[in-house]
Amino acid sequence: MFDENYLKKIKERKQEWDKKLENTKERDIKFITDSGIPIKNLYTPLDVKSNYLENLGFPGNTPYTRGVYPNMYRGRLWTMRLFSGHGTPEETNKRWKFLYSHGETGFSAAVDALTFNGIDPTNPDGDAEVGTSGVPLYCIDSMFALTEGLPIDKVSVALIVEPFTSAPVCAMYYNMAKMRGLDIKTLMGTTQNDILTMTVGYVPYKNVNPYHILRLACDLIEWCVPQKNVPRWHPINFTGYNYREGGIDAIQELGFVFASACSHIDNLIERGWKVDDFVNRLAFHLSAHKDFFEEIAKYRAARRIWYKLIKDRYEAKNPRSMEFRFHVQTAGSSLTAQSPNVNIVRTTIQALEAALGGVQSLHTNSYDEAICLPSKEAVLLALRTQQVIQDETRVPNTIDPLAGSYFIEWLTDELEERVWSYIDKIEKVGNIAKALDTGWLYKEMRDAFMRRQNRIEKGEEIVLGVNKFPVPYDQTTTVFRTNKEAVKIEQERIINLRKRRDNAKLETLFDKLRKVCEKEENVMPIMMEITKEGATVGEICDVYREVWGIWEPPIAI
Amino acid sequence: MVVSRGLRDAGMEVIFGGFQNVEQIVESAISEDVDVIGLSMHSGAHLAYTERVINLLKEKGVKDHFLILVGGVIPVKDFLVLKEMGVANVYGPGTVVRDIVKFIVENIKK
Repeated sequence: MFDENYLKKIKERKQEWDKKLENTKERDIKFITDSGIPIKNLYTPLDVKSNYLENLGFPGNTPYTRGVYPNMYRGRLWTMRLFSGHGTPEETNKRWKFLYSHGETGFSAAVDALTFNGIDPTNPDGDAEVGTSGVPLYCIDSMFALTEGLPIDKVSVALIVEPFTSAPVCAMYYNMAKMRGLDIKTLMGTTQNDILTMTVGYVPYKNVNPYHILRLACDLIEWCVPQKNVPRWHPINFTGYNYREGGIDAIQELGFVFASACSHIDNLIERGWKVDDFVNRLAFHLSAHKDFFEEIAKYRAARRIWYKLIKDRYEAKNPRSMEFRFHVQTAGSSLTAQSPNVNIVRTTIQALEAALGGVQSLHTNSYDEAICLPSKEAVLLALRTQQVIQDETRVPNTIDPLAGSYFIEWLTDELEERVWSYIDKIEKVGNIAKALDTGWLYKEMRDAFMRRQNRIEKGEEIVLGVNKFPVPYDQTTTVFRTNKEAVKIEQERIINLRKRRDNAKLETLFDKLRKVCEKEENVMPIMMEITKEGATVGEICDVYREVWGIWEPPIAI
Repeated sequence: MVVSRGLRDAGMEVIFGGFQNVEQIVESAISEDVDVIGLSMHSGAHLAYTERVINLLKEKGVKDHFLILVGGVIPVKDFLVLKEMGVANVYGPGTVVRDIVKFIVENIKK
């Protein structure tokens, strides 16, 4: 980026400056990023390898390093989308209305463990979990209650369900929208539909094997986008955030999402589609973790990697196919149950990383999340945190404001290189389903957990209130409790539905679903029919289990 | 999983159950003849599940055979409630594994 002779001059001066440092002493710590990249004391033009037009360019132009839209936040600010859900769909609807009335610009449904795992509330295996960690969404009636009185034709909705239950849950949502008189061809929203969330992010309960999970994820993509049933929907959101929370670093986070994305693209190409038919609607969900500059560089590197991947490996023709769009969540794992007020500071800094990195949609954590589900007061403060950045700091005034920083450009290049090597490492194992089924990904996760835990226990990674200036658990924060009656309410909802629906007709439809599963055809058309007639998520997932069997994940300890 | 690995590294034999229901937890604890049952919960359902596990152990008359530990996203206000139910110790976010190891070594087979 700089003139050769001028660089020579800088090099000479730099050597003189280095001598000055010979008699100084540095603090006795490792100067490295969170992912272990060694960091120099100073960056100068000598460190910048990138050529401006090729590697940075202009926002909205290839290689998109500086952003995917030409006008970025001067045109439209990022969507403030707080992931929320608890108790019942009715209670969640109240929380959504509360946030919307305070300026939230997108909705996101956090579902409970039963909805994730395809279990109905009438099943004694999990009834105590109903509504505890998210909203229960077991049948079409739940969708009406969830969205009652909300402008879902104008505000986009994220349904945070994974491939094991994404087909029935999305079908329920689309049917509800149709019955409300909306055209699903214009419906905006996202389904998380991420193969790794329920496999390495959490421990799955009675799910099917990853090869079927991968196919289910691709069924939704195919039906929504290239088959043009819900063409404006993002049918998948590769969720590096969830596994990052388990201890992996920024390089692995990008490695996991890109290797996973390639496996999905390959599957759709095998089905006969061209990459330009669908890839523009694939989206990402990344973490904003503790290392301020590394996270910003990560978002910039991610845009450039995705561009190269889609252009070079898949030979896409449409530049819009190469745009990396992403949602960010601040790092829940960085929060402490000790001095929870400090979490407000942590979240603010992490939200700023996302803003400086060109995020499209952002969730900020509530300060009480290491203790309980967010209270109304805490969630409002989390929303206000984003609003302070958007409305008071003037950060969104100019696009990609840190570009050109010697350090940021060097770190962006460095991360990109390391992510490419990590993608190669994963792909040597096979596609993402194989990397799961062989246990390789579980070992990577375990080793990362252990490394991070050891660093914290040794004090190499500082957690204020825990391993530095330790304080006892906070006793003053009001603990938000989810509705204990939720289980009864949801059981009644299902029982009433079963009485009301045409069970004979449903039996025929379940036979049809069984055949579709056996033949490994796209499940979405039958899912639209069967959920409209009142089939529940648990009943549908039982058919999956019956036809495909239950998978025992090869978890490594 | 970090806890499981940490306990194994401390020389203990660990059976990681994964996501199990109450009956599975109790059955495998009895059939594997373990000393400690560790329950990890992050959803907020820790009171309900722990109570069910303990009730089932009592029903089977084997409650006193096990040291019961609970960990996860658990408000400190619930620590006492869990201990009154019969849990030996509770570990919230930010726990170091060696504290769990120490507690087990000191409290087992008393």
